[in-house]
Amino acid sequence: MSGAEAAHSPSDSIVVTGLGAVTAFGWGVSALWEGVRSGRTAIGPFDRFDATRHRTHVAAQVDLEPAPERPGPRTSLADRFAIAAAREAAGSARLPLGEPRERLGVWFGSSTGGMLESERYFEVFLRRGALRARPGLLAAQQFNGPGDAVARDLGAGGPVVTISSACSSGAMAVGAALRALRRGEVDTAVAGGSDSLCQLTYAGFNALRSVDEQPSRPFRKDRQGLSLGEGAGILVLERAESARRRGVPALCVLAGEAATCDAHHMTAPHPEGRGAGEAISLALADAGADPVEVDFINAHGTGTPLNDAAEAMALNRVFGDRTSGIPLTSTKALIGHLLGSAGAVEAVVTILCLLRGEVHPMPDVGERDPEIPLDLVLGSPRRLGNARCAISISLAFGGTNAALVFRREPFA
Amino acid sequence: MSAGGAVVTGLGVIGPWGAGCPGLIEALRAGAPLSSEVDRTAGYHAAGGARRAALVPSLDLARFVPPAQARRLALPSRWSLAAARMALEDAGLPALEGRRVSVVLATVFGSVLFTEKLVRQILDEGPEAAQPFYFSECVANAPTAQVALALGARGANVTVTQREAGALSALAIAAQEVTEGRADVAITGATDEMTPLLHSLLDRYRAIAKPAGGRSEAPRPLAAGRDGFLAGEGAVALVVERDVDAAARSARPLARIAGSARAFDPTATESDWGVGHERLGRALSALLATTFPDGARIDAIVSGASGAIRGDALEGRVLRHAWPAGDLPPVVAPKGVVGEYGGGHLAAAILAAAGAEFGALAAFDAPDPEIGIVPGRLAGGSPPARILASALASGGAAAWILLERP
Amino acid sequence: MVTGETTAQRIKRLLVDKLHLDGLAPEGIDDRMPLFGEGLGLDSVDALELVVALEKEFNLRIQSHEVGREAFASVESLAAYVDGRVASVGDSHVGG
Repeated sequence: MSGAEAAHSPSDSIVVTGLGAVTAFGWGVSALWEGVRSGRTAIGPFDRFDATRHRTHVAAQVDLEPAPERPGPRTSLADRFAIAAAREAAGSARLPLGEPRERLGVWFGSSTGGMLESERYFEVFLRRGALRARPGLLAAQQFNGPGDAVARDLGAGGPVVTISSACSSGAMAVGAALRALRRGEVDTAVAGGSDSLCQLTYAGFNALRSVDEQPSRPFRKDRQGLSLGEGAGILVLERAESARRRGVPALCVLAGEAATCDAHHMTAPHPEGRGAGEAISLALADAGADPVEVDFINAHGTGTPLNDAAEAMALNRVFGDRTSGIPLTSTKALIGHLLGSAGAVEAVVTILCLLRGEVHPMPDVGERDPEIPLDLVLGSPRRLGNARCAISISLAFGGTNAALVFRREPFA
Repeated sequence: MSAGGAVVTGLGVIGPWGAGCPGLIEALRAGAPLSSEVDRTAGYHAAGGARRAALVPSLDLARFVPPAQARRLALPSRWSLAAARMALEDAGLPALEGRRVSVVLATVFGSVLFTEKLVRQILDEGPEAAQPFYFSECVANAPTAQVALALGARGANVTVTQREAGALSALAIAAQEVTEGRADVAITGATDEMTPLLHSLLDRYRAIAKPAGGRSEAPRPLAAGRDGFLAGEGAVALVVERDVDAAARSARPLARIAGSARAFDPTATESDWGVGHERLGRALSALLATTFPDGARIDAIVSGASGAIRGDALEGRVLRHAWPAGDLPPVVAPKGVVGEYGGGHLAAAILAAAGAEFGALAAFDAPDPEIGIVPGRLAGGSPPARILASALASGGAAAWILLERP
Repeated sequence: MVTGETTAQRIKRLLVDKLHLDGLAPEGIDDRMPLFGEGLGLDSVDALELVVALEKEFNLRIQSHEVGREAFASVESLAAYVDGRVASVGDSHVGG
């Protein structure tokens, strides 16, 4: 079955009209694109907190110097990333702001919200007592902090939902926005995610021995684990008809989404990638796309021995013999694992690759894993001028999986 | 926007009333806050501050969560799993084979105790002392994932973190999962736990009711002198299915989900309610008009009023905006009994739709003249035709669900 | 730490306390019973939890690649591993 038989007509398509991002490569989508194109990793020594006693000592940290706004007293770092990315996305989509927006909704993913600031609160609280610690630091602690901050900043009046499903939060938020637009719940959706580095996740993943001492090397034979990162990614989504009416260019189509659960184990993926494969297949079906149409893959690719092996098996289930011929990259090798915002930032990167006709590389390090025969894009970008369809995959802690399918234009 | 075609066929509850619906039904009838003394021996609390919370008593949940499974579960996960199994039993669906199942749960704070322990370990003893158990259970989606794991649920696994509006938002999502064909059954609900530390922080933020003068410490929803909500904990789970599927297996639905809507008030601050009652009122009116275009009467409102100073004011104004003629149906405020957090309000809404009796709130004294709503009673008996459940969140989110007699 | 306990007894106590094996007495764990999969039925997260507990109890640093190897097969093999590590001078704080 080919994409042409899908039920949606071109005017029903949900399109992306704005993009925003904050990552270790900088504030903004341009900085992100320059960074991922280069194939140079942004994972390295960091000072978001004192990592001396942690088991590992690298991460992909956002440089706060060029931040566009000064922080408010009760704004967490995750809030700041979110607001900056949302303003960039809203600007590029030319969203008219400053007026009531009943038909504008926000779908967001975050796994720790303002936990970094809470840790700073507790450091004082534990050492010097409750009265000395500034309660303001906790005000932004909530998981829904960044999403609500974006909603307030944009004056949203429609549904505002934060999903906190660990590593798939961002992708699930984008998927939920897609469905809301299809069923007519809103006219415009701002969808994305934001997370900052914090000691809880840094120590936690280390306690699970999931973190590599070096920058992570997804799908390579000697991979040892993931690297953490921070930042935010945002998409502005609307119906194609609406973009045309507003005279705003549609960057691409968000064609399909799906979310599944392995129901296998809390921290380990299903060894054969069963739930992941299902998410990919269902997302393609939702997009009215046949697996043969996928031109490149933005994998979850954390670099942990188990995840990459399971993901490779999942890809094999879906793409069969074709699997080893589809260019594949993992943005996590460059900007780290952004947890709650990973799926959203990686969606932004996938879209950029589609638009520029280029799949960004991962650093050319490590050895090929003979058990994982994938067409990894290493060292330099892979030109794919005719790329029309791409998939972005997010596989989370607790076994919850999500996949998003993007198309360059409504129909080939 | 409506989410028709979905029904609630099972309800499982764990809260300050114990485990199971009878305790909750009795508490709603009696109208008194289910509060008990918080353990303040750790010294977090300020003198003269709040001392009570709606705490889950010690429970033997072995029937629903065998000890071998329970050993690594934090309380929210344990309670959620027990509530989910209770709900499935209630729905007459002990086995889920052949059905695609989604799990959509809400939490406000996640697994607080384990988060506290982990942060303490990292800050006091050093990162190398961080225990893997604590980390894997302290992610917000741990309860949702544990429920899916135990039930073999391989559909979407969604954890909504939208504060006081999370539970109703999750219910809306669950209904869409089944009516849009992505799942045959959706388990939905909410869970939260209340630790002494969290309680002391809520008190420091002046969010919760406290003793004052000769007056008892109690939540007084919609009352003139209200000074905060009652902090609660627990877990609630609902089984949601397509109406045709429930009918096919002769299940007895508790309620039909007639419609849902979510909106946002950007005048809110990150930790309080705003003043956008007109916008929210319009969203609620639009929901009523779309779901019941012939203007059918709502029999009762299960309000999210909790005793929160600004929250209740906003709730009252939103309701008045949607009933401009002043002919509001009876408004009940179950958070005056079950507290805020843990899904009690959601459970109360389903029970109201099923015909439960709601007594007068024992702690209510004088109405707030600016709101002009007195929490009412429901006589109970036969299920009302139509119920509105309302939940406004600090931070700005809002969610409403319309339930109908099935 | 209870004086006079053997390494094996200390390990059994850690297993019951740290892994929340309620209802199981430390003496009830056979020295040669498989810890993972069959026998006690522990899994990968239990293994990591046990590692943190062992590091604290015996003042060791255990490398990631050692976890899940033969040393961890049973209480007996684990006790031999721990005794061997503790006996080597300079093991306790060095290395990362």
